[in-house]
Order: sequence, then C-alpha cells, then structure tokens
Amino acid sequence: MSRAARPPSLRLGQQDLKCRSGCGFYGTPQNEGLCSMCFREKFNDKQRKLKQKAGETGPGSSSSVATLDRRSPQHAHLHGKVEQQVRKSLDKEQDHLGTLQKKKFTAVLQKTLQAGAQKITQQRGHVPDPTDGQFLLQLRQLRIPDDGKRKLKLEIQRLDSDIRKYMNGNGGKNINELSDLVQNAYTKVSDIVHNDPSFEIATNEDRDSAIDFFEKVVMTQNHKFLFSPYFTTDEDSDVKVQKRIRQLSWITAKHLDCSIDEVNSEARDLVYNAISELVGIDSYYSPQEKLQCTWRCCRHIFELLKRATGGPASADDFLPALIFVVLKANPVRLHSNINFVTRFTNASRVMSGESGYYFTNLCSAIAFIENLNGESLGISSEEFEALMSGQQPYSTPWESALLACESLHLISENMKRMEMLQKRNALISSGITSFEKELIDFQREVTERVDTVIAKAPLNLLPIKTPAFLIGQARAHLLTESEAGHYQANMLHGGALTSQSLTAVGGLAKPSATSENSGLSLKDTSMSSMGRLSPLQQNVQPADNLFASPIFNYTAFDAVSLLEEPVSEANADVLMLGSEFQGGLTNINYDFDLSDQSGENSTAEESKLNLDEFDPLAQKGSVVQPPPPLPESSLLDSTTDSLIDSEVPGTAVLLPSPLKPEVSNYRGFSNFDIPSISCNTGEFSSLGQDGADAPK
Amino acid sequence: MSSSRTRSGPTLNFKAVLLGEGCVGKTSLVLRYMEDRFNAQHLTTLQASFVTRKVSLEDGRRAQLNIWDTAGQERFHALGPIYYRGSDGALLVYDITDRDSFQKVKSWVRELRQMRGTEIALIIVGNKTDLEEQRAVTHDEALQYARTVGAQYVETSAKENEGVAELFELLTHLMLEQLSQRQPDASPLRLQNPDTDTLNNSEDSGAPDPGDLAGQRSCCGI
Repeated sequence: MSRAARPPSLRLGQQDLKCRSGCGFYGTPQNEGLCSMCFREKFNDKQRKLKQKAGETGPGSSSSVATLDRRSPQHAHLHGKVEQQVRKSLDKEQDHLGTLQKKKFTAVLQKTLQAGAQKITQQRGHVPDPTDGQFLLQLRQLRIPDDGKRKLKLEIQRLDSDIRKYMNGNGGKNINELSDLVQNAYTKVSDIVHNDPSFEIATNEDRDSAIDFFEKVVMTQNHKFLFSPYFTTDEDSDVKVQKRIRQLSWITAKHLDCSIDEVNSEARDLVYNAISELVGIDSYYSPQEKLQCTWRCCRHIFELLKRATGGPASADDFLPALIFVVLKANPVRLHSNINFVTRFTNASRVMSGESGYYFTNLCSAIAFIENLNGESLGISSEEFEALMSGQQPYSTPWESALLACESLHLISENMKRMEMLQKRNALISSGITSFEKELIDFQREVTERVDTVIAKAPLNLLPIKTPAFLIGQARAHLLTESEAGHYQANMLHGGALTSQSLTAVGGLAKPSATSENSGLSLKDTSMSSMGRLSPLQQNVQPADNLFASPIFNYTAFDAVSLLEEPVSEANADVLMLGSEFQGGLTNINYDFDLSDQSGENSTAEESKLNLDEFDPLAQKGSVVQPPPPLPESSLLDSTTDSLIDSEVPGTAVLLPSPLKPEVSNYRGFSNFDIPSISCNTGEFSSLGQDGADAPK
Repeated sequence: MSSSRTRSGPTLNFKAVLLGEGCVGKTSLVLRYMEDRFNAQHLTTLQASFVTRKVSLEDGRRAQLNIWDTAGQERFHALGPIYYRGSDGALLVYDITDRDSFQKVKSWVRELRQMRGTEIALIIVGNKTDLEEQRAVTHDEALQYARTVGAQYVETSAKENEGVAELFELLTHLMLEQLSQRQPDASPLRLQNPDTDTLNNSEDSGAPDPGDLAGQRSCCGI
C-alpha cells in the first residue's frame, strides 16, 4: 500500500475500514473486520480460555497495529531475519500456547512482523536493523570511517525503535513530543558526527552527508508513523485548505498583482513545471526530498519571473507568484506535508538555507491563502463573498486563460506547421524542376555522346564479318561434309535440350557431370583415335557418347552466339589444338561419309564434333587443304533440314548403355591426353570442369 | 568540543530578514551588496530574495550570512512573523523620500519588539540618500527614533553604493554581539554544540542553529 497510490479523497472514506473494535486502526476482512492487533487479542483470549493460561500479549503487541500499514517491501529483507527470531521466541516463550497459536501467528506474520520484532526488542533488548538494502548500500558508500558508520547505524536503530516505542505506547500522544524526540536525536547525531573521535578524519561535507543520511533513513523508515499521524488534525487541515483553494479558483494573477503572464505559453509552461513540482512534494518520503522539491518549484517560479521582469526577482514579485502557483496547483495533503517537514526535518541544517527560505515562503503563501479576504485581493468584500460562494460568475480565470492559450497555441503551432509544409513544398517543386533539367541535359548528353561515339567508332565495321566469313567457311566445311546438317541440328538441339539430352543420351544412369566428362573424353579420344584408326568401328562405338558430348560442349555458344563465337573459337582452336588433329581432319572426312551413309545420328554427331573442332584448325592451321572441298552445297538448307532431323536422333538415341563401359576406358585414355581437352573450342567453363573431373 | 574543532567545523549561521514597504529598495540593497563583493561576476543570480554570503569575522572565524527578503506589500504584512521568527537580525528599510515607508518601519519595529523582544538585532536603514533633495524624513528624526527603540540607524544609497557594505558589516557585528549576549557561556564560539544548546534552550528561537528549529516549528502552525 503505497502512499502515492492512496489519494486523499479515498482516505477519508476509509472510516468504514477501521477496526470494528473502535481502536482507531484499520481492520481487514481477513481478520473479521478487526485490525490485526484486536484480532490477535481476540484470538489469544480464545486460546487462554482453552489453555487456561495467561496470554502472552504484552504491551508491545499493540505495535502490530501501527506497523500494519508499513510498507512491506522496504522491510522485505528483514522478514527472513526477524522471522527466525520470532519463531525462536515463539518456541521459547509462547510454547505453551500450543502449535495452533504458532500456526496462526506465522500466517499473519507478514503483517505483524514488526510487532514480533518489537516484542523481541522489548523482551531481549535486541534492536532490529531498520535499514533496508538500499540504505545499507548508501551507508557503505558514505565516506566516513567504519567506526562512524557503525555508530551512525546504531543511532538510526535507536531513533527508529524510539519512534516506534512512542507510537506504540499507550499514553497520550503529542506530536510536539514526538518532534522533540526526533529533533533531539538529530542534535545527538550531529554532536556525534562532529565531535566523536571516530569521525576525526571526516571532512565537513562528509559529516553533513552523514547527518543527512541519518535523517533520510529514519524519516523514510518511519514516514508512515510520522506523516499526518492520527492524533493530529493534519488531515482536517488538508481538507479545509483544499476546499478553500477550490473556492478560490477564480483568483487570477491580476488579483494577486503578480507578473505572471497567464496568456503566454512559455510562462504557462514554467508555471506548469512549478505546479508539478509542488504537487510532487507529496510523493517523497523524507523531509529533505520534500524540501528539494519545494526548491525546484521555486526555481521554476524565479525563472518565470526573471523572464517577466528582466532581472533577478525580489520577494515582492516572488511571493505573489508562489501564491498563484499554490492556488492553481492545489496540492494534496498540503498541511500534512508542511507539518511533516517542519516537525521532523533537521532544522539546524536545512531550515536556514535557501530551501528553508523557500519553504518559509510556501508556509506564508498557505497562510495568506487561508486568511485572504477581499481587501487583500483589492476587491470589495461583497464581491469577494459573491465570488467565493459562486453566485457571481467569474470571468477569465486561469482556466479560461489556459483555454485561450491553448487555442492560440494550436493556431501558432498550425501556422508553424503550414510554414514548414510550404517550405518543403517549394523545396520539392524546385527539386523537380532541377531534376527535369538534369534529365534533359542528361538525355542530350547521352545522345551526344552516343552520336560522337557512333561517329567515331567503326563499330559497323566489326560486323563486316571477317568472322562471318570464317563462319561461313567453317559452316561450309561442316556442311559440305554433308553431315554438317546433322551437326548443326544437334547443336541447336543441344542448345534447346541440354540437360535432357545430356542425361538421356550421355548415359541414363550417370549423373550429368560424369556424362559430360565422358563425352569430352570420348570426343577427345575419338578425335585422336579417329585420325589413326579405322573410322568405322570407332565411330559406331563412341558415336553415342559423342552424341552427348558435342551437345554439351557447344550449347554455350551454339544457341546463343553461333555467329559471333566462331572467331574466338577458331583462335582458341588454333592455339590449343595439337598438330595431331590436323591429321585427323582428313580422316574425319572419311568419317563423315560413313556416318552419312549410315544415317545414324550418332555418327553424324560424332563427325560434327570432329569437324567443329577441326574446322577452324583446318582453316587457320592448314587452310589450304580442307577449304577446297568445303564450299560446296547450300549451308542453309542442310541446317534447316538438320534441325528437323535432330529431334529424331535426340529421341532415338538408344545406344548409351553399351557405350558406357567404353567411356570409362576412353576416359583413362583421355586423361592421358589431357592437353587435347583444349579441343573444346574455347569453352572455358567446360574445360575447367573437365580439368577438375578428369582426375577421377 | 574544542574551539579549534568549531573553527574547522560548522560555521556560524546568521539569518537576517529584510523588512520594509515595497519599492524602498530592499532588493537593491541586497543586490548591491552581493554585486559589490563579487565584482559583478555573479550577477547571473536567478533571484534576489534570498542571498547567502560567507563573511570573515574579526576573530578569524567564518560566518554564513543568510539574508531573507520579504514581500513588502501591505497585504503580506501579516505574514511577517513567519519570516522573522528565528532570525538574528532585521534590516528595516525605508525610503527617505517617503514618510509612509518610515511609518511602516515604526510598525515593524513595534511588532518585532513585541514578538522577539531584544533578542533580535535591529537596524533601521534610510535608503535612497541619492535623492537628498526630496528627503522627507530627516536624519536626526530617524536617528532619534532608532535610539528610543534600541536600534541602529544607517543611511545608504543602493544606487550610488554608499554605505551598503558598512551596513552589512554592522549587521554581522550586531548579530554576533547579540549571540554572545544570549549565550554568555558559549560566547561567539558556540554553535552547533548541541549538548548545551538544544536541550536547554529549545525555547531560544533566536539561536541560529538548534534554536532555529523551534522557531521554524512554530511557523508550521500558520
């Protein structure tokens, strides 16, 4: 149950929640509407009757009520420690109450823990450690000797238990006594810190921080007891002043003669800051923090006044402004907070300083608000009464000024936004025009450049077809061999079907890679062998393998760049092929004849292969010999024919299986002749593959 | 507690209030005082209603002088006690060209003497001596009055920076005197020695430290 989460309005309604026995503390449904103390007494009575023994409830047990609403998280770490002690003490001293009692007790232990601790304190003289982990950490961080820390801790514990003892005492309570108790403790601590030998080496700042620490810890720990205690009229005063401020909502800065510009949004923001700080006072626990909050609030006001008056503000300006802020803030539990600070702050340290001054101003502002009349606002008492009772509607108070301010603010904001949009729009349109211009320029530039380049570059000459000529010759070579038709057909076919044909033809069982290899190797072997061996037999056998290989080899350029590649192809061939093949060429001619006659696709392809590779060689290396027979019949016709035919052979390839065994043989052979692989007519990718795969 | 410890330890803390009607130059006096000492470097102060200064005393100790400005408007007159409770000195400022402000000072003096008796050092300050030709309250009259109420009288000009530093020196001196009178045992060396102070003198609201607390506490009762 945190303080902040408990609005004052709710608090007043909590009368119903009080203990049924009328002890003044809060009851809980779990305890049959009683407070934990009364509940336990009732329970003990029962026990006593049962056991015929005197109850153990000592005077300290009443503490449970007061401690009931302590913030448990702060003491969470204590629970484990104290719980054990409580258990022990229960075992020893309340042993006769029976296990049932213990069970019950531990069940409500969370709430009555402090009571248990208190009991132990009284029974054994043991003081429970009042600091929680955070404070212990801070204590450790204080730059004072360990000895001093120990003493400080002891003092904290002493005051803590003193406060609780007082609060739990049965005698009449007086807030002034409590205040004196605390103030005397401050004085004592101050004495210790300044004069005790254990603080000898500490600097003044460290001593001050030690005193501040003492105050902060004790006040935070005991905030629940000391803040607006039940035996004071703080709450009533809170309600009264709150009502009063609500009634005074019509007061404007003009009434107070203060220089706050209610319609200026900047000033309004500062007033808002001040108001939020003022309201925030209630959310702090220690007087120090509350004072700091007041300090911040007043700093905002001074900032505001400085802007309004143009110089450091004097009290003449400050007090009215502060009153205005208090009126508009209407902070919760104003009196409780003020009284808490005045009673329990370490006055000698804090009250004479700047925050003390601000706090005093806050006090006087509240005093003014409580006592103000028409005269002090510069209006007649009749008017004052009318305004207070709400009979006379008031015009343009802070709220309506805020409304106006709000709309003005909106207007100016919108105007700013419009301005920004306009700027952006202009930027965009100018960007567009410049971009358009750039585009046009670019276009012109490109066209110009292209024109110049075109004008310069005899690109037109390139297609003049020195390659075309070669191709023509090459084709002529191929075609004139009459198998050229098949060859091309295959080539095209291969381009279209590549993978299909490869797998299907090269070897159904083998993966494409191997088939490629085999094809290549076979081709090589065939080529090399063809030159020397009888064409017929060899053709028949390797033909199927070759059927695959040519496709593969030529796909790259066949389909795409039939016309262009031959140039490089030719060159490559010239460079790479050994002289062996030249001899082969002549032989190939024979082969072609044979394949033609046989009409088998395989032979045709084989011949193509050979031709393709050897043609360029023939042209370049020994152009003289082959060309004469080359320029013969129509290339085109045959090619077209071959296209049609090619599909048949593609599908009709039935011979792969018998070839395979031979493939492997030939491979071995091919490996031997690796340089011959270069026959691949400039297709480097396939070469690479071959090279990589060949070692297998 | 040894005196040497006191010297090195907490300094004396004096609180003085500025009372007077509006527009008599209370704030100007304070500002002039601060400005003069700090050579205008610290004039970036946000506010002039509360100033604090460390001063060196004749005996080599250091004291902190806290000067509390108060709102001079008539409507806030009733709030005076909240401010001057617990103060060691009061500067009662009036404008020598404005007789009303002098009357106001008189009412302040009556109130202070009634509330605080003789435990507060009073200085009546006639400000704006630069407007000599418009003077409405003669020097003699004011001096006479001051003597009858046991107060000091000083004339200053915040505008011309005449007598301002002297004024605050006198104030410090008077407050120190007051302190040693009230606490003959502890003499001026006393302060923050809680053993003797607070427990015995909790009613001594004039005492700068623990006594302050009593005064402040009562102010909560507004």
